[in-house]
Amino acid sequence: MDGPSEPEISSRPKPGNLIIDAMNDILLEIKGLRASVEDKEILKGIDLTIRKGEIHAIMGPNGAGKSTLSAVLAGREQFTVTDGSVTFLGQDLLAMSPEERSWAGVFLSFQYPVEIPGVSITNFMKTAVNSHRKAKGLEELKAGDFLKLMREKMAFVKMKPEFSKREVNVGFSGGEKKRNEIFQMAMLDPVLSILDETDSGLDVDALRIVAGGVNSLHTPDKAAIVITHYQRLLDYIVPDIVHVLKDGRIVKTAGRELVAQIEDKGYDSL
Amino acid sequence: MCNISKKSEERLTALRDDAVAIGRGESMRRTVIISPDSGTGDTLPACFALGADSRLDIVLAVMPGAGCDISLAVILEGEGAEANISGLYICPGEERVNISVELFHKVPHCVSRQLFKGIAGGSSKIGFFGKIIVAQDAQKTEAYQENHNILLSETAIVNTKPQLEIYADDVKCSHGATIGKLNEEEQFYMRSRGISMEDAKALQMISFLSPVASAIADVQEREALLDAIEAAVRRL
Repeated sequence: MDGPSEPEISSRPKPGNLIIDAMNDILLEIKGLRASVEDKEILKGIDLTIRKGEIHAIMGPNGAGKSTLSAVLAGREQFTVTDGSVTFLGQDLLAMSPEERSWAGVFLSFQYPVEIPGVSITNFMKTAVNSHRKAKGLEELKAGDFLKLMREKMAFVKMKPEFSKREVNVGFSGGEKKRNEIFQMAMLDPVLSILDETDSGLDVDALRIVAGGVNSLHTPDKAAIVITHYQRLLDYIVPDIVHVLKDGRIVKTAGRELVAQIEDKGYDSL
Repeated sequence: MCNISKKSEERLTALRDDAVAIGRGESMRRTVIISPDSGTGDTLPACFALGADSRLDIVLAVMPGAGCDISLAVILEGEGAEANISGLYICPGEERVNISVELFHKVPHCVSRQLFKGIAGGSSKIGFFGKIIVAQDAQKTEAYQENHNILLSETAIVNTKPQLEIYADDVKCSHGATIGKLNEEEQFYMRSRGISMEDAKALQMISFLSPVASAIADVQEREALLDAIEAAVRRL
């Protein structure tokens, strides 16, 4: 190519958007979020801002509210939001249904992926992908194009092609379930991925595959929230910012050096 | 004669008189669709008697807006006979569906499988009565019966009554009946992937009912029923 190459800007705005403004980099903004389940308050005022290109880790002891936060962001109805706001790409996320959040670009990788007997992965993903396309005003993918896309993304997380015929998560091992989550993430190409305890139930090989998948899906336009109890996953998916959630509040935010400190001294030291 | 209760013996004798006999080594397949603009199930004989090594396959489908009151009996009276009886019903409104199936295992080495699945919404009322009778002589019998139901509304009623009457001691028999709702965990999982609530429910209902339609051997007939099921559940 002729001429000088343009400098790389990690958080380059989309073409047509000429004003570079820090506000435009914000993907997700959580302010004073409180949520309860059956009158028990779990989240007691969460503030969190996530910008394009960032990987945030949320760590914390069991029962701190980590999974509740991910469930509230994905729109699980068991939790009642009692206060605060969540803005995703300028939209009120809390006003959206779970499927609308998915269409807008939010993806939750489940800690315990759900088994759906009788529904094949192909049928499940075809319905999901075409729902996304419909929401964007696009036509359904042709069967051949869909299968090609699916084969490509399955290979990406080292899922055998025969899994396409399997019922969703039925009889899958822990590692297979998590790889299936990352496969779905690759298919749906979300802007914000929330990985809820993706490392639980994984051996080291599966962990490498899953983390490798997450890393290669990450681009300067996207962001991820990695929720984990342990350091292990964060050796593979390296966070930019680390938060510690304790008793429904973020009690500490720092750089990735915080991970080692927690591993060394535990959560009680914070 | 074949050692069953006096009551069942009398019932068997009465049924046998009018039974359609399937001879040694023969097979019969019947698919009966009951819908407001097709059959009512009247064409289905009330009783079949199966000879040695014969086979009977019946698939019954009761579509929305149709009601039925079907009593079906199968007598396995020749060794090596096999009966597969399955059915589905989709009742979103005020349908009345009654299905009664009696399976008589008179002789050894016969197999019977029953699978009935249905969806009850609106103020529909479903009754399922299934009885398996295994005579003392009918050793090595395999007899299975399942009836599973999904309730879509508070006002729909399902009454399921599985019964086993077994006099032989070397048999494999089981029955199971369930009445439940569509699984909300599955729905949330699907919605979190962008599948609308409507599509999620349709997928659940199709996957629930399709094992019954899959029992149809004829590809065209099977595909037609699967299409009809999909169209029906999408209107619920």
